[in-house]
Amino acid sequence: MSWKLFSLLLEASLMTIFVSTISILIGLVLAILLSAANLSGIRPLQWGGKFFISFFRGTPLLVQLLLLYNLLPVMGIQMPSLATAILGLSLCTAAYQAENLRGGFEGVPRGLVESADMAGFSPAQTFFHIRVPIALRLTLPALINEAILILKASSLVSVVGLVELTRMAQNLVASTFMPLELYASAGLIYLVINLTVAVLGRQLEQRLPGAPAK
Amino acid sequence: MNFDLNVILSKQDELLYGIAVTIFVWVVGTLASAALGFVIATARRYGGVLVDRALAVPVEVIRGTPFLVQLFLLYFGGPYIGLSLDALPAGLLALSIYGSAYFSEIFRAGYQSVPPGHVEAAETLGFTRGQVIRVILLPEMALLVLPPSVNMAIILLKETALLSLITVPEMTMTASAIGSQEYAFVEAMLLLALTYWILVELAGLLGRLAEKKLSRYRLAKA
Amino acid sequence: MSDTAISVQHLVKRFGTTTVLDDITLQIPRGQVSCLIGPSGSGKSTLLRCMAFLEEATEGSIFIEGDPLGFVYDGTGKRQRQAASELRRVRSRIGMVFQQFNLWPHMTALGNVAAALRRVRGLSRSEAEAKALAQLTKVGLENRAGHYPSQLSGGQQQRVAIARALALEPKIMLFDEATSALDPELTGEVLNVMRGLAEEGMTMVVVTHEIGFAATVGSQLSFLDQGRLLFTGPPAEVFAKPRHPRLEQFLDTYLDRGASTLV
Repeated sequence: MSWKLFSLLLEASLMTIFVSTISILIGLVLAILLSAANLSGIRPLQWGGKFFISFFRGTPLLVQLLLLYNLLPVMGIQMPSLATAILGLSLCTAAYQAENLRGGFEGVPRGLVESADMAGFSPAQTFFHIRVPIALRLTLPALINEAILILKASSLVSVVGLVELTRMAQNLVASTFMPLELYASAGLIYLVINLTVAVLGRQLEQRLPGAPAK
Repeated sequence: MNFDLNVILSKQDELLYGIAVTIFVWVVGTLASAALGFVIATARRYGGVLVDRALAVPVEVIRGTPFLVQLFLLYFGGPYIGLSLDALPAGLLALSIYGSAYFSEIFRAGYQSVPPGHVEAAETLGFTRGQVIRVILLPEMALLVLPPSVNMAIILLKETALLSLITVPEMTMTASAIGSQEYAFVEAMLLLALTYWILVELAGLLGRLAEKKLSRYRLAKA
Repeated sequence: MSDTAISVQHLVKRFGTTTVLDDITLQIPRGQVSCLIGPSGSGKSTLLRCMAFLEEATEGSIFIEGDPLGFVYDGTGKRQRQAASELRRVRSRIGMVFQQFNLWPHMTALGNVAAALRRVRGLSRSEAEAKALAQLTKVGLENRAGHYPSQLSGGQQQRVAIARALALEPKIMLFDEATSALDPELTGEVLNVMRGLAEEGMTMVVVTHEIGFAATVGSQLSFLDQGRLLFTGPPAEVFAKPRHPRLEQFLDTYLDRGASTLV
């Protein structure tokens, strides 16, 4: 396989990294909002959050993407495929991240919340300044794991027409008939990205203060 | 929009066939994954350092790459190395290899969870290695291994949807086809999502029941 | 038959560069209780575990009733691992009791005792359970047969573990700090079972911190320190005569703790 083909794959992998990163971040924000809904004590909000999480964790991402891709135009919303891809991935990862965060919020020591209350923090201030940072710190390993899952899952956004790493490999296969080399190369690039994320994640985990005592 | 599920539901024979294929691929694929994963974990435990390291490589490669790429590599690349498989067997094989990597890690953690003394006690009583695995290790790790195994089975169920992309006639492919033919794609996808959702919830429920049944004993605090 | 049950010859065990057992030679007499004592880290547990081939010695050999355990030496003096079936045959003469009991948590007390009778001896379920119940009766736990380990006290768990080892009718019983994991008020019931076994004439090797037990029940006492066997002899000799300074120091720490049960 020529370097030319491989460099096209490398270029497309930038789109994979971009889409995944943006989706993880949007998903994280949504997940924090879902956690807020769960902790709010307001029943309809809690139920809504639960329904959202259950649906997006209970159905295949492929089906979610196909649904979104066809539902939006029917609802009169026109979006470029990049936006559709990011929206689909974000909603899905939000559900998984919210589930991860739930464990983190349960791990926030009660005393810290109480002392914030005593210091006169409003519930929202306690949530955003005390609970969220601690829960995020506690669930950092899960977040890194989720990042790797989303990098892999992003291969599915090819079905909504976005040309990322997997779609580029598909396109090149169609013109070169070299599926073995191209898909193996694509796999290798995913592997390198994921190993990098795993290594960086582990370093971040060790360097950040407040690592959970073992 | 006109929302009409009836056009979809009128194709119930095709839908049921698609659901049957999904369940077949899922159940067989999960069982094969678990069996292969168990073999890998056992080989890594008993096969010495070299086997352990040699097997770590494919396990990490499979865990580090998307299932879709593995599937395409096997189905479209296979014929170039003399491995021409029809869509269904190719999908089943890819799913089983993919799942086995994850199951091998589940069983590896299971093996590690059993205190070495429990194995030593069996060894001094004259148990063979096979008996130690069957009578002591497997039942003892069962409670620990069950929840991640159920979780993995659910992940595999969702991954079966990707087999539609290599034309396995499972329910995602069936629903997409009907949706396109009948100009009711959104309805078809909603119904499809609902079916997956029900299957996932059912699998989770069964898993929790099994867990309850298994937890009649607790791991002894030595 | 000779009256040596276990013969340990020039045994050396190293972990990396640390020598845990340094040229140990020891005879375990048949029908008697031999105690291994010494400070923690002295290698006494490792020595006992070598006698069950749970640890592989680096050099030297162990004979169980005259048969080599674990390794055989060929004509040129080269060491080879024993076949698995031969190891099981030699090992079947030994029963082992562990500090942490090591009962299998997914089996009842009866199941723990019956397991080897079924799987190793090939008895039918009912035969195995009848025999197992007899063993549990012997350790006074027939009314706990259906309990899981997690439902038993530490002392009861250890008595089940003893019954499990006895079920296969071993010639020799090895006890690895059998009472060390127990609360003080629970050690008595386990020591009583061990005392009963000794009275029946069971060959026993006991690694223990219970100097009182060693002094009253033991007929041979071996003192290990830093991997070396410094002294072997009858208890009376150990406690009466002038001794090795390290042994003296070791015993003093026990006397300081008011070991009034000493002879």
